[in-house]
Order: sequence, then structure tokens, then C-alpha cells
Amino acid sequence: MSLSIGLTINGQPRTVALDDPRVTLLDLLRERLDLTGTKKGCDRGQCGACTVLVDGRRINSCLALAASLDGATVTTIEGLADGEALHPVQAAFIEHDGFQCGFCTPGQIMSAIGLIAEGHAGDDPERIRELMSGNICRCGAYQGITEAVLEAQKTLAERNRRDAA
Amino acid sequence: MIRYAKPKNVDEALALLSDGPWRILAGGTDFYPALGNRPLSENVLDINGLSELRGIAEVGSHIVVGARTTWTDIIRRDLPAAFDGLKLAAREVGSVQIQNRASIAGNLCNASPAADGVPPLLTLGAEVELRSASLTRHLPLEDFILGNRRTALQPGEMVTAIRIPKSATAGTSAFVKLGARRYLVISIAMAAARIVVEDGIVAEAAVAVGSCSLVAKRLTGLEAALRGLPIGPALAETVAATSLPELAPIDDVRGTAEYRREAAREIVTRAVLAASGHHPLTKVAA
Repeated sequence: MSLSIGLTINGQPRTVALDDPRVTLLDLLRERLDLTGTKKGCDRGQCGACTVLVDGRRINSCLALAASLDGATVTTIEGLADGEALHPVQAAFIEHDGFQCGFCTPGQIMSAIGLIAEGHAGDDPERIRELMSGNICRCGAYQGITEAVLEAQKTLAERNRRDAA
Repeated sequence: MIRYAKPKNVDEALALLSDGPWRILAGGTDFYPALGNRPLSENVLDINGLSELRGIAEVGSHIVVGARTTWTDIIRRDLPAAFDGLKLAAREVGSVQIQNRASIAGNLCNASPAADGVPPLLTLGAEVELRSASLTRHLPLEDFILGNRRTALQPGEMVTAIRIPKSATAGTSAFVKLGARRYLVISIAMAAARIVVEDGIVAEAAVAVGSCSLVAKRLTGLEAALRGLPIGPALAETVAATSLPELAPIDDVRGTAEYRREAAREIVTRAVLAASGHHPLTKVAA
């Protein structure tokens, strides 16, 4: 018995036949759709390396059963850049040294985008740290990550103002 | 091959449940972690298609929180000040990624002694609505969670809502969690308090502690001792002087029983003072 689900992944509608209902969204992305930008760290919801956006909200893809997400819109790290132009959050992570080894970075960036979209972080670094606490960085790049999130938030707000004008 | 079903309404879900054993999938944040290294071998009943089970509504004498309501839903919802403790606890359930998916009923059904949602729900007099194909029953939360990972759920039943009597939504509440680091941490101990103040006097007090017994407990002796006291230093003095026989902490990797007993009294004090409006909520880190 196979289970057919439809997902919109990074703007592309995809139909996926699951031969087992137990597969997680993370394994689906990495093992079957070759989207390996999303990382598997702890595989139990404690590290945040697998963070993606589902219907605009950040979640741990290692905990989500793909079968349960039939009809959902998924955004991964591969869906951010516009050709060669980096997403403002990606650019801010480079600008502020928001990483060292880079393994947690896709999850950090997806989490930051979710946080900025939630719209209630303000410019208090402590609030950013609380709201980014689902993403662990073993290299300890937290200072740069917090700065990157604050700057990207400003850049995106300015861009929204320009677009609205 | 296991079975997977995603019913569209509660009746359909209950019919399936009456038909045989299923593991219910809601937010799924403890679905795989609870298995450890075992593969999933049970049939999966995915209740994420049941839109009627998500949201918060006033129904007669109760505020009814649908089983699938997420912690993020609770944080964002305008609720009376008596729910402040529950909202603070919601912010401590894992990370935002977890809060976006994890459901209030899942927190209760997993029945972890360290479930952050339980102490504030105890101070709100919460009851659990259980439905099967043939029966609907309501159990006080105290009678629903029976022990570590044990609940009163019977075969064929599922939790459909958490009901909070409006009579228990007076006053202001607070929640204080002690963990080994500030965020994303399993509680060493946590305390919730809801206090109703009338003319500077404690008219009503509800206090609960988690992670210091198999099941989170209301501290009824302390509650009685607090009633009638003036808001001020007498509250902290009373917490310090009252015996708390409900607490039966254990030694584990997160802390010793002795440490927990000490720490619990301190965070109970902070929660009571915060709920009585007399103390800014202090952040605690070990």
C-alpha cells in the first residue's frame, strides 16, 4: 500500500508516493527529494538543525510525519536565495559571522525567518535569544546569530516599507 | 505494514478507535522521542484533520480548550489574567518550533512528571474531556494523570478538550520554572500560583508544583494557610513555615531530592508573590 501526498516545496508542487507512513518530513526531504540543505542533528526535536517552515511556521522536520502534512507548503534553506542573490537573513549571517562549522546554520536561518515573520521579537537581544533557543550551535556562534537576526529584521522591515510605498 | 488513518471528524475518529488499538498522532513532538530506539509498530490515528478540536471557546460555565490547541495558539490568544501562568508555561514548552506543533492534550496524555502545562492547569481547576464512541466523561486533571506516563484513558477513548470552569478564572497567575539552563530544558521543578486578592487580602489561592512528585500536585495545606493573609511579606513567611507534604521528589540526573525540596519552596514563594502582584517575575537559572 502506498500513500500519495501533495506538497508545495519551495514553490514547486510535488506529488510524493510514500511506501511507508512512518517517514518523517526530514527524511523525505533529504533521502527522497535530495534536498540535503536541511540537516539531521539530534533527530528528536532538541537541536533545531532540521527547522523548516510549514505553512509559514517554523517546525522541527525530524518530528513531523510527512503523511500528516498532505497539502502543506514547505520552505527549506534551498528555497531562500533568488538566483545568486542571498535572502537578507542569509546575508546577515555572513556579515555577522553567525556560524563557524555551519552545520546548524540552515536550521538557524529558517528559524530566524520564522521568528521575524512572527513579528513580536522587537529589538531586545534577550527576547531574540529566547525565541532562537530551539536552535543549538555547538560552535557557540550565538553572539553573531543574535546580531544577524536583529539586522536582518531591520533590513526586511525596510524592504517591506519600500514595497508598500 | 502499519495502518495510517486521518479521519475528517471526531465521530469518524471515535469509530476507528472503537475498532482496535491505535497510537494517536497530534502535534507529534513526543511521538518518536517517546519510542526511544524502538521502531514504530502500532497503527497511527492522525487527528490533525479534526479542525473542531483546535481553538479556545467559552461554552456555558466553562472555557473550553480544544485538545489540538497548540502552545503558540495559547500564547497568542487574549485570555483573562488567571491564564498568565499557563501562557508563561507555554513559552517554556521546548522551543518555538515545538510550541508551534505540540498540543495541550498531548502534554497531558504523555503524562511526564515534568510536563510544564500541568501545574498551571491544576491551578485553573482544569478537567479533561474524554470521548469514546459510546460515552463522554469529564475527569478532574488530578484524576486523569495517574503516574509517570500513565493516564486514565481507556481503550477506545481520546481526549477531546480541556475544560476550565469560569469560577476558577478569577485573579492573576504566575509560573516559575527552574531548569539547568535558561531555555529549552526539562524542568528540575516548576511552580504555578493563582491568587485572588480582595481589599489587600488573599481571598483565594491555588498553588501547584511539578517535577517534585510522580504527578504534579496542588499544595492544599499551603493554599489554606495563604487564605486571609494580607498581601506583603506574610506570604513569603507563610510559604517558608508551612510543611509541603505533597512533595515527594526523587534523585535523578537533573537534581537530587534534597535540592528539589529546597528549590521548590523558593520557586513557590516567587510564584505566589508574582501572582499576588507584589514581586517582579524573576528569571531562575541553576
